[in-house]
Amino acid sequence: MTEKQNKTVAIINSQAPFSSPGGKDALDTALIFGSYEQNIALFFMGDGVYQLIDKQNPELINQKNYLKTFSAFEFYDIEQVYVCAQSLKDRGLTDKFHIENTTLLEPAQFAQTLAGFQVIFRF
Amino acid sequence: MSILHLVRSSQFNSSDFLQCIGVLTPGDQLVLLDDACYNLHHPLLIAAQEKLFPQKIAVVTSHAQARAVTLPETITGISMTELVHLTFNNDSVVTWQ
Repeated sequence: MTEKQNKTVAIINSQAPFSSPGGKDALDTALIFGSYEQNIALFFMGDGVYQLIDKQNPELINQKNYLKTFSAFEFYDIEQVYVCAQSLKDRGLTDKFHIENTTLLEPAQFAQTLAGFQVIFRF
Repeated sequence: MSILHLVRSSQFNSSDFLQCIGVLTPGDQLVLLDDACYNLHHPLLIAAQEKLFPQKIAVVTSHAQARAVTLPETITGISMTELVHLTFNNDSVVTWQ
């Protein structure tokens, strides 16, 4: 029996952090796949890029700072974190994020990279 | 007849802010809350500023700070308590979300 090949999984983040549970759900899903050593990648686009901005302070609106858990990525050896450069430009954002080793991609390349994954979740 | 417009969503993924701007009249008050803080750095903000007096556009400071959104000088930061007072100074309230 050939060794079963794990599917490659991509998680798209397209929602802003605090007004919807999308960001937290995407993070939980990524960490679950990571803990089973699946081949997983994260894609940040649209308002999802707001989750990456540094110096956010959700305690001010009485919310838990789930963004801190992003630092667990390398612990789960999640190294493929792609960010849509156009979404940043549209929102006037720099690439000063609260996590390191992200890869900035132009839209065409971002789409190309996403197309390489077998399973895609969108939050 | 002055209206207090409360906008709660980002113009980057909805058209609520655009629709609100379409019905603004000079005496109205506009307050940005929650994800509408992102509209502070959206090109459409200028369209709102052209329709209203500068001091009639505000944002809830804690909501913007929570999201690390910097406040442009022309926009007044208010607290939720001040927001409640604003509901008394206007004839009606509309929420765009």
